[in-house]
Amino acid sequence: MKNLTILVVDDDPVIRRLLQQRLAKEHYEVTIAEDGHVAESLLEQHHYDVVLTDLMMPGGIGGIEVLEIAKQLHPKTEVVLITAHSSVDSAVEAMKKGATDYLEKPINFDELFLRLDKISNLQTILKSAQDLEQAMTVTESAASETIQNLEIEIARKQELLEQLEKVLLDHTLAEDERIEQALSKLSEI
Amino acid sequence: MIKIKPNELKVIAQYIYDISGIHLDQSKSYLFETRLSSIAEELGCNSYQDLYHKAKKDVSKKIEHKIIDAISTNETLFFRDKGPFELMQHKILPEMIDARTPSSAALKTNIKIWSAAASTGQELYSIAIVIKELVNDLSKYNFKLLGTDISDNAISQASYGKYNKFEIERGLDRKILQKYFTLFGDSWKIKDEIRGMVNFRKYNLMQSFAALGKFDIIFCRNVAIYFTLNDRKQLFNRIADSLADDGFLVIGSTESLTGVCPRFVPKRHLRSIFYQKK
Repeated sequence: MKNLTILVVDDDPVIRRLLQQRLAKEHYEVTIAEDGHVAESLLEQHHYDVVLTDLMMPGGIGGIEVLEIAKQLHPKTEVVLITAHSSVDSAVEAMKKGATDYLEKPINFDELFLRLDKISNLQTILKSAQDLEQAMTVTESAASETIQNLEIEIARKQELLEQLEKVLLDHTLAEDERIEQALSKLSEI
Repeated sequence: MIKIKPNELKVIAQYIYDISGIHLDQSKSYLFETRLSSIAEELGCNSYQDLYHKAKKDVSKKIEHKIIDAISTNETLFFRDKGPFELMQHKILPEMIDARTPSSAALKTNIKIWSAAASTGQELYSIAIVIKELVNDLSKYNFKLLGTDISDNAISQASYGKYNKFEIERGLDRKILQKYFTLFGDSWKIKDEIRGMVNFRKYNLMQSFAALGKFDIIFCRNVAIYFTLNDRKQLFNRIADSLADDGFLVIGSTESLTGVCPRFVPKRHLRSIFYQKK
Protein backbone atom coordinates (compact mmCIF):
# COMPACT_ATOMS: atom_id res chain seq x y z
CA MET A 1 0.00 0.00 0.00
CA LYS A 2 1.30 3.44 -0.92
CA ASN A 3 0.93 6.11 1.69
CA LEU A 4 -1.73 8.18 -0.09
CA THR A 5 -5.50 7.96 0.05
CA ILE A 6 -7.12 9.17 -3.15
CA LEU A 7 -10.69 10.17 -3.98
CA VAL A 8 -11.41 9.90 -7.71
CA VAL A 9 -14.36 11.99 -8.94
CA ASP A 10 -15.49 11.51 -12.53
CA ASP A 11 -18.89 11.16 -14.19
CA ASP A 12 -17.51 9.02 -17.02
CA PRO A 13 -17.72 5.35 -15.91
CA VAL A 14 -14.94 4.28 -18.29
CA ILE A 15 -12.41 6.81 -16.99
CA ARG A 16 -13.53 6.09 -13.42
CA ARG A 17 -12.88 2.36 -13.79
CA LEU A 18 -9.60 2.95 -15.57
CA LEU A 19 -8.33 5.29 -12.85
CA GLN A 20 -9.45 2.96 -10.11
CA GLN A 21 -7.70 -0.03 -11.69
CA ARG A 22 -4.45 1.76 -12.49
CA LEU A 23 -4.19 3.47 -9.11
CA ALA A 24 -5.07 0.27 -7.24
CA LYS A 25 -2.42 -1.55 -9.25
CA GLU A 26 0.11 0.98 -7.99
CA HIS A 27 -1.18 0.19 -4.48
CA TYR A 28 -2.87 3.50 -3.75
CA GLU A 29 -5.95 3.41 -1.55
CA VAL A 30 -8.71 4.56 -3.91
CA THR A 31 -12.30 5.67 -3.33
CA ILE A 32 -14.64 6.44 -6.22
CA ALA A 33 -17.35 9.09 -6.58
CA GLU A 34 -19.53 9.22 -9.70
CA ASP A 35 -20.37 12.91 -9.37
CA GLY A 36 -19.81 16.06 -7.32
CA HIS A 37 -22.67 15.35 -4.92
CA VAL A 38 -21.29 11.94 -3.94
CA ALA A 39 -17.83 13.53 -3.62
CA GLU A 40 -19.26 16.19 -1.32
CA SER A 41 -20.85 13.70 1.05
CA LEU A 42 -17.69 11.57 1.08
CA LEU A 43 -15.54 14.65 1.83
CA GLU A 44 -17.85 15.54 4.70
CA GLN A 45 -17.08 12.21 6.34
CA HIS A 46 -13.50 11.38 5.35
CA HIS A 47 -10.15 12.97 4.85
CA TYR A 48 -8.30 12.12 1.63
CA ASP A 49 -4.70 13.04 0.88
CA VAL A 50 -5.53 13.66 -2.78
CA VAL A 51 -8.73 14.44 -4.66
CA LEU A 52 -8.45 13.65 -8.36
CA THR A 53 -11.43 15.23 -10.05
CA ASP A 54 -12.78 15.84 -13.52
CA LEU A 55 -13.22 19.54 -14.21
CA MET A 56 -16.47 19.37 -16.19
CA MET A 57 -19.22 17.34 -14.55
CA PRO A 58 -22.99 17.63 -14.82
CA GLY A 59 -25.31 18.14 -11.87
CA GLY A 60 -24.33 21.50 -10.37
CA ILE A 61 -21.15 20.42 -8.60
CA GLY A 62 -18.27 20.49 -11.08
CA GLY A 63 -14.53 20.12 -10.48
CA ILE A 64 -14.12 23.72 -9.28
CA GLU A 65 -16.86 23.21 -6.68
CA VAL A 66 -15.30 19.91 -5.57
CA LEU A 67 -12.02 21.80 -5.19
CA GLU A 68 -13.68 24.46 -3.07
CA ILE A 69 -15.49 21.94 -0.88
CA ALA A 70 -12.28 19.94 -0.35
CA LYS A 71 -10.30 23.08 0.57
CA GLN A 72 -12.97 24.30 2.99
CA LEU A 73 -13.23 20.98 4.79
CA HIS A 74 -9.62 19.81 4.60
CA PRO A 75 -7.05 22.55 4.01
CA LYS A 76 -4.32 19.89 3.76
CA THR A 77 -5.90 17.91 0.93
CA GLU A 78 -4.23 18.26 -2.48
CA VAL A 79 -6.58 18.57 -5.45
CA VAL A 80 -5.55 17.53 -8.97
CA LEU A 81 -7.92 18.33 -11.84
CA ILE A 82 -8.46 16.33 -14.97
CA THR A 83 -9.34 18.47 -17.94
CA ALA A 84 -9.94 18.37 -21.64
CA HIS A 85 -7.38 20.29 -23.69
CA SER A 86 -10.03 22.87 -24.59
CA SER A 87 -10.57 23.82 -20.94
CA VAL A 88 -6.94 24.36 -19.91
CA ASP A 89 -7.76 28.00 -19.18
CA SER A 90 -10.29 27.03 -16.53
CA ALA A 91 -7.76 24.59 -15.09
CA VAL A 92 -5.31 27.47 -14.69
CA GLU A 93 -8.08 29.43 -12.95
CA ALA A 94 -8.54 26.44 -10.65
CA MET A 95 -4.84 26.48 -9.80
CA LYS A 96 -5.31 30.04 -8.58
CA LYS A 97 -8.07 28.73 -6.35
CA GLY A 98 -5.70 26.27 -4.73
CA ALA A 99 -5.57 23.22 -7.00
CA THR A 100 -2.16 21.56 -6.83
CA ASP A 101 -1.99 20.54 -10.46
CA TYR A 102 -3.97 19.57 -13.54
CA LEU A 103 -3.74 16.76 -16.06
CA GLU A 104 -4.95 16.90 -19.64
CA LYS A 105 -7.07 14.15 -21.16
CA PRO A 106 -6.26 11.56 -22.33
CA ILE A 107 -4.58 10.82 -19.01
CA ASN A 108 -0.90 9.98 -19.23
CA PHE A 109 -0.51 7.60 -16.30
CA ASP A 110 3.25 8.00 -15.99
CA GLU A 111 2.67 11.70 -15.55
CA LEU A 112 -0.08 11.08 -12.99
CA PHE A 113 2.11 8.71 -10.94
CA LEU A 114 4.97 11.21 -11.05
CA ARG A 115 2.75 13.94 -9.61
CA LEU A 116 1.39 11.62 -6.95
CA ASP A 117 4.97 10.74 -5.98
CA LYS A 118 5.75 14.43 -5.60
CA ILE A 119 2.69 14.94 -3.41
CA SER A 120 3.67 11.93 -1.36
CA ASN A 121 7.24 13.25 -0.87
CA LEU A 122 5.91 16.62 0.17
CA GLN A 123 3.57 15.02 2.68
CA THR A 124 6.45 12.99 4.14
CA ILE A 125 8.47 16.17 4.63
CA LEU A 126 5.47 17.91 6.19
CA LYS A 127 4.91 14.97 8.48
CA SER A 128 8.49 15.09 9.77
CA ALA A 129 8.20 18.86 10.25
CA GLN A 130 5.05 18.25 12.28
CA ASP A 131 6.79 15.55 14.32
CA LEU A 132 9.65 17.93 15.03
CA GLU A 133 7.21 20.63 16.01
CA GLN A 134 5.42 18.26 18.34
CA ALA A 135 8.69 17.19 19.94
CA MET A 136 9.57 20.86 20.37
CA THR A 137 6.20 21.59 21.96
CA VAL A 138 6.64 18.76 24.47
CA THR A 139 10.14 19.97 25.39
CA GLU A 140 8.94 23.55 25.56
CA SER A 141 6.01 22.78 27.81
CA ALA A 142 8.18 20.74 30.18
CA ALA A 143 10.75 23.56 30.28
CA SER A 144 8.10 26.21 30.80
CA GLU A 145 6.57 24.31 33.73
CA THR A 146 9.98 24.14 35.43
CA ILE A 147 10.78 27.78 34.70
CA GLN A 148 7.37 29.03 35.82
CA ASN A 149 7.55 27.07 39.09
CA LEU A 150 11.00 28.50 39.75
CA GLU A 151 9.82 31.99 38.85
CA ILE A 152 6.96 31.83 41.38
CA GLU A 153 9.15 30.20 44.04
CA ILE A 154 11.89 32.81 43.68
CA ALA A 155 9.32 35.61 43.92
CA ARG A 156 7.93 34.03 47.11
CA LYS A 157 11.39 33.75 48.66
CA GLN A 158 12.22 37.29 47.60
CA GLU A 159 9.09 38.54 49.36
CA LEU A 160 10.00 36.62 52.56
CA LEU A 161 13.55 37.99 52.46
CA GLU A 162 12.15 41.50 52.25
CA GLN A 163 9.90 40.81 55.25
CA LEU A 164 12.90 39.33 57.08
CA GLU A 165 14.91 42.46 56.42
CA LYS A 166 12.04 44.60 57.72
CA VAL A 167 11.82 42.57 60.93
CA LEU A 168 15.57 42.75 61.53
CA LEU A 169 15.57 46.52 61.01
CA ASP A 170 12.47 47.08 63.16
CA HIS A 171 13.92 48.89 66.17
CA THR A 172 10.55 49.14 67.88
CA LEU A 173 10.93 45.44 68.69
CA ALA A 174 13.19 44.08 71.41
CA GLU A 175 16.27 42.26 70.15
CA ASP A 176 15.12 38.78 71.16
CA GLU A 177 11.70 39.43 69.67
CA ARG A 178 13.34 40.46 66.38
CA ILE A 179 15.43 37.29 66.37
CA GLU A 180 12.41 35.14 67.15
CA GLN A 181 10.32 36.68 64.35
CA ALA A 182 13.25 36.54 61.97
CA LEU A 183 13.73 32.84 62.70
CA SER A 184 10.08 32.18 62.05
CA LYS A 185 10.33 34.00 58.68
CA LEU A 186 13.48 32.04 57.89
CA SER A 187 11.69 28.76 58.51
CA GLU A 188 9.17 29.66 55.78
CA ILE A 189 11.96 30.11 53.28
CA MET B 1 27.12 29.41 0.65
CA ILE B 2 29.64 32.19 1.31
CA LYS B 3 31.77 31.41 4.36
CA ILE B 4 32.15 34.10 6.97
CA LYS B 5 35.73 34.94 7.96
CA PRO B 6 36.63 35.30 11.64
CA ASN B 7 37.54 38.99 11.23
CA GLU B 8 34.15 39.66 9.61
CA LEU B 9 32.14 38.15 12.47
CA LYS B 10 32.78 41.00 14.87
CA VAL B 11 31.94 43.72 12.34
CA ILE B 12 28.76 42.00 11.12
CA ALA B 13 27.61 41.09 14.65
CA GLN B 14 28.04 44.72 15.73
CA TYR B 15 26.22 45.96 12.61
CA ILE B 16 23.26 43.60 13.19
CA TYR B 17 23.13 44.70 16.81
CA ASP B 18 23.15 48.38 15.80
CA ILE B 19 20.29 48.04 13.31
CA SER B 20 18.11 45.57 15.24
CA GLY B 21 19.28 45.12 18.84
CA ILE B 22 19.56 41.40 18.09
CA HIS B 23 22.61 39.83 19.68
CA LEU B 24 24.01 37.00 17.57
CA ASP B 25 26.57 34.76 19.24
CA GLN B 26 29.85 35.20 17.35
CA SER B 27 30.80 31.60 18.08
CA LYS B 28 27.86 30.47 15.93
CA SER B 29 29.12 31.52 12.52
CA TYR B 30 26.53 29.26 10.80
CA LEU B 31 23.79 31.59 12.07
CA PHE B 32 25.30 34.43 10.06
CA GLU B 33 25.89 32.27 7.00
CA THR B 34 22.47 30.61 6.81
CA ARG B 35 20.68 33.91 7.20
CA LEU B 36 22.81 36.31 5.19
CA SER B 37 24.42 34.24 2.47
CA SER B 38 21.55 34.47 -0.01
CA ILE B 39 21.34 38.27 0.37
CA ALA B 40 25.08 38.57 -0.21
CA GLU B 41 24.89 36.35 -3.30
CA GLU B 42 21.86 38.20 -4.65
CA LEU B 43 23.75 41.49 -4.41
CA GLY B 44 26.83 40.00 -6.04
CA CYS B 45 28.98 40.32 -2.93
CA ASN B 46 31.90 37.95 -2.55
CA SER B 47 32.28 38.48 1.20
CA TYR B 48 30.30 39.66 4.21
CA GLN B 49 32.63 42.63 4.49
CA ASP B 50 31.47 43.57 0.99
CA LEU B 51 27.80 43.15 2.01
CA TYR B 52 28.40 45.32 5.06
CA HIS B 53 29.88 48.14 2.96
CA LYS B 54 27.05 47.93 0.42
CA ALA B 55 24.47 48.07 3.20
CA LYS B 56 26.15 51.06 4.86
CA LYS B 57 26.31 52.95 1.56
CA ASP B 58 22.68 52.24 0.61
CA VAL B 59 20.79 55.43 1.46
CA SER B 60 17.44 53.82 0.60
CA LYS B 61 18.13 51.36 3.47
CA LYS B 62 16.69 48.55 1.35
CA ILE B 63 19.64 46.29 2.12
CA GLU B 64 19.40 47.05 5.81
CA HIS B 65 15.71 46.08 5.79
CA LYS B 66 16.50 42.85 3.96
CA ILE B 67 19.12 42.00 6.54
CA ILE B 68 16.67 42.68 9.37
CA ASP B 69 14.06 40.48 7.69
CA ALA B 70 16.60 37.68 7.33
CA ILE B 71 17.93 37.92 10.87
CA SER B 72 14.66 38.27 12.76
CA THR B 73 12.93 34.98 13.49
CA ASN B 74 9.36 35.01 12.29
CA GLU B 75 8.43 31.74 13.91
CA THR B 76 4.93 32.18 15.22
CA LEU B 77 1.64 30.33 15.40
CA PHE B 78 -1.98 31.12 15.93
CA PHE B 79 -2.68 30.55 19.62
CA ARG B 80 0.98 29.60 20.19
CA ASP B 81 0.82 27.74 23.52
CA LYS B 82 -2.82 27.74 24.51
CA GLY B 83 -1.90 29.11 27.97
CA PRO B 84 -1.67 32.87 27.30
CA PHE B 85 -4.96 32.92 25.38
CA GLU B 86 -6.84 30.99 28.08
CA LEU B 87 -5.28 33.45 30.50
CA MET B 88 -6.67 36.31 28.41
CA GLN B 89 -10.12 34.75 28.22
CA HIS B 90 -10.56 33.71 31.83
CA LYS B 91 -8.49 36.15 33.83
CA ILE B 92 -6.93 39.17 32.15
CA LEU B 93 -9.78 40.37 29.92
CA PRO B 94 -12.60 39.95 32.47
CA GLU B 95 -10.54 41.77 35.13
CA MET B 96 -9.48 44.52 32.75
CA ILE B 97 -13.05 45.01 31.52
CA ASP B 98 -14.24 45.32 35.14
CA ALA B 99 -11.48 47.78 35.93
CA ARG B 100 -12.05 49.94 32.85
CA THR B 101 -15.85 49.99 32.62
CA PRO B 102 -16.88 53.59 33.34
CA SER B 103 -19.69 54.32 35.82
CA SER B 104 -21.68 56.15 33.15
CA ALA B 105 -23.33 53.80 30.68
CA ALA B 106 -22.92 56.46 27.99
CA LEU B 107 -19.14 56.03 28.00
CA LYS B 108 -17.16 53.27 26.35
CA THR B 109 -14.71 50.88 27.98
CA ASN B 110 -11.22 51.74 26.69
CA ILE B 111 -8.62 48.98 26.65
CA LYS B 112 -5.24 49.19 24.90
CA ILE B 113 -3.32 46.05 24.05
CA TRP B 114 0.17 45.75 22.57
CA SER B 115 1.78 42.75 20.92
CA ALA B 116 5.40 43.95 21.06
CA ALA B 117 6.90 41.33 18.76
CA ALA B 118 3.93 40.77 16.49
CA SER B 119 5.86 39.00 13.73
CA THR B 120 3.37 38.03 11.00
CA GLY B 121 0.38 38.90 13.18
CA GLN B 122 -0.90 35.55 14.42
CA GLU B 123 -0.61 36.51 18.10
CA LEU B 124 -2.53 39.76 17.77
CA TYR B 125 -5.25 38.20 15.60
CA SER B 126 -5.54 35.38 18.15
CA ILE B 127 -6.03 38.02 20.88
CA ALA B 128 -8.64 39.81 18.73
CA ILE B 129 -10.49 36.52 18.21
CA VAL B 130 -10.47 35.84 21.98
CA ILE B 131 -11.95 39.32 22.54
CA LYS B 132 -14.62 38.81 19.87
CA GLU B 133 -15.56 35.43 21.33
CA LEU B 134 -15.73 36.85 24.86
CA VAL B 135 -17.49 40.16 24.15
CA ASN B 136 -19.75 39.59 21.22
CA ASP B 137 -21.16 43.10 21.05
CA LEU B 138 -18.17 45.40 20.74
CA SER B 139 -20.23 48.61 20.51
CA LYS B 140 -19.73 49.47 24.17
CA TYR B 141 -15.98 48.92 23.94
CA ASN B 142 -13.08 50.71 22.43
CA PHE B 143 -10.37 48.10 22.08
CA LYS B 144 -7.11 49.35 20.58
CA LEU B 145 -4.86 46.50 19.49
CA LEU B 146 -1.38 47.37 18.28
CA GLY B 147 1.15 44.96 16.82
CA THR B 148 4.76 46.01 16.26
CA ASP B 149 7.71 44.24 14.71
CA ILE B 150 11.11 45.19 13.39
CA SER B 151 10.70 43.30 10.11
CA ASP B 152 9.06 45.06 7.13
CA ASN B 153 8.09 41.73 5.60
CA ALA B 154 6.49 40.50 8.79
CA ILE B 155 4.51 43.72 9.23
CA SER B 156 3.25 43.71 5.67
CA GLN B 157 2.10 40.09 5.93
CA ALA B 158 0.48 40.85 9.28
CA SER B 159 -1.34 43.87 7.83
CA TYR B 160 -2.58 41.86 4.88
CA GLY B 161 -3.83 39.11 7.19
CA LYS B 162 -3.45 36.32 4.65
CA TYR B 163 -2.00 32.95 5.65
CA ASN B 164 -1.18 29.84 3.64
CA LYS B 165 -2.51 26.42 4.51
CA PHE B 166 0.62 25.48 6.46
CA GLU B 167 0.36 28.55 8.67
CA ILE B 168 -3.39 27.98 9.10
CA GLU B 169 -3.07 24.36 10.09
CA ARG B 170 -0.81 25.16 12.97
CA GLY B 171 -2.85 26.08 15.99
CA LEU B 172 -6.20 27.08 14.49
CA ASP B 173 -9.13 24.81 15.06
CA ARG B 174 -11.68 24.29 12.31
CA LYS B 175 -14.50 26.18 14.02
CA ILE B 176 -12.42 29.33 14.52
CA LEU B 177 -11.00 29.05 11.00
CA GLN B 178 -14.44 28.87 9.38
CA LYS B 179 -15.80 31.66 11.56
CA TYR B 180 -13.05 34.24 11.21
CA PHE B 181 -11.25 33.48 7.93
CA THR B 182 -12.30 33.43 4.29
CA LEU B 183 -10.82 31.01 1.81
CA PHE B 184 -8.84 33.13 -0.64
CA GLY B 185 -7.36 31.02 -3.43
CA ASP B 186 -5.02 28.61 -1.73
CA SER B 187 -4.79 30.81 1.37
CA TRP B 188 -7.04 32.08 4.12
CA LYS B 189 -7.67 35.73 4.83
CA ILE B 190 -8.74 37.10 8.19
CA LYS B 191 -12.24 38.59 8.05
CA ASP B 192 -12.66 42.36 8.14
CA GLU B 193 -14.42 42.33 11.51
CA ILE B 194 -11.16 41.02 13.09
CA ARG B 195 -8.81 42.87 10.74
CA GLY B 196 -10.55 46.12 11.64
CA MET B 197 -9.79 45.62 15.34
CA VAL B 198 -6.01 45.69 14.94
CA ASN B 199 -3.20 47.93 13.71
CA PHE B 200 0.35 47.06 12.82
CA ARG B 201 3.42 49.22 12.56
CA LYS B 202 7.13 48.76 12.24
CA TYR B 203 8.94 49.40 15.48
CA ASN B 204 12.37 48.62 16.88
CA LEU B 205 12.18 47.55 20.54
CA MET B 206 15.45 49.41 21.20
CA GLN B 207 13.63 52.70 20.52
CA SER B 208 11.81 54.70 23.19
CA PHE B 209 8.18 53.66 23.74
CA ALA B 210 7.03 57.13 24.78
CA ALA B 211 5.31 57.71 21.41
CA LEU B 212 3.15 54.60 21.84
CA GLY B 213 1.38 55.76 25.01
CA LYS B 214 0.29 53.54 27.90
CA PHE B 215 -1.11 50.04 27.55
CA ASP B 216 -3.39 47.95 29.73
CA ILE B 217 -2.12 44.62 28.45
CA ILE B 218 1.27 43.89 26.88
CA PHE B 219 2.36 40.66 25.19
CA CYS B 220 6.14 40.50 24.76
CA ARG B 221 6.80 36.87 24.04
CA ASN B 222 9.90 35.12 22.74
CA VAL B 223 11.74 38.20 21.52
CA ALA B 224 13.87 39.29 24.49
CA ILE B 225 15.72 35.98 24.25
CA TYR B 226 17.57 37.45 21.27
CA PHE B 227 18.85 40.40 23.31
CA THR B 228 21.77 40.73 25.72
CA LEU B 229 20.93 40.65 29.44
CA ASN B 230 21.59 44.36 29.68
CA ASP B 231 19.24 45.17 26.79
CA ARG B 232 16.64 42.81 28.25
CA LYS B 233 16.80 44.72 31.55
CA GLN B 234 16.30 48.02 29.76
CA LEU B 235 13.52 46.62 27.58
CA PHE B 236 11.40 45.37 30.49
CA ASN B 237 12.09 48.54 32.44
CA ARG B 238 10.68 50.58 29.53
CA ILE B 239 7.79 48.11 29.22
CA ALA B 240 7.03 48.74 32.90
CA ASP B 241 6.92 52.48 32.10
CA SER B 242 4.48 51.80 29.24
CA LEU B 243 2.15 49.59 31.28
CA ALA B 244 -0.75 50.92 33.36
CA ASP B 245 -0.25 50.42 37.12
CA ASP B 246 -2.90 47.68 37.20
CA GLY B 247 -1.92 46.38 33.74
CA PHE B 248 -0.88 42.86 32.73
CA LEU B 249 2.31 41.65 31.08
CA VAL B 250 2.60 38.26 29.38
CA ILE B 251 6.02 36.92 28.35
CA GLY B 252 7.05 33.69 26.60
CA SER B 253 6.30 30.50 28.50
CA THR B 254 9.99 29.62 28.84
CA GLU B 255 11.14 33.15 29.63
CA SER B 256 11.86 34.55 33.08
CA LEU B 257 12.08 38.04 34.55
CA THR B 258 14.14 36.92 37.55
CA GLY B 259 17.22 39.11 37.63
CA VAL B 260 15.83 41.09 34.69
CA CYS B 261 13.19 43.44 36.06
CA PRO B 262 12.44 43.75 39.79
CA ARG B 263 9.49 46.04 39.04
CA PHE B 264 7.35 43.05 38.02
CA VAL B 265 5.94 40.25 40.20
CA PRO B 266 4.90 36.92 38.69
CA LYS B 267 1.39 35.66 39.44
CA ARG B 268 -0.09 32.29 38.66
CA HIS B 269 -3.45 31.58 37.11
CA LEU B 270 -4.15 27.89 36.45
CA ARG B 271 -1.23 26.67 34.35
CA SER B 272 0.07 30.04 33.21
CA ILE B 273 1.80 32.99 34.76
CA PHE B 274 1.51 36.66 34.07
CA TYR B 275 3.22 39.70 35.55
CA GLN B 276 1.99 42.83 37.22
CA LYS B 277 3.82 45.84 38.52
CA LYS B 278 4.79 45.81 42.21
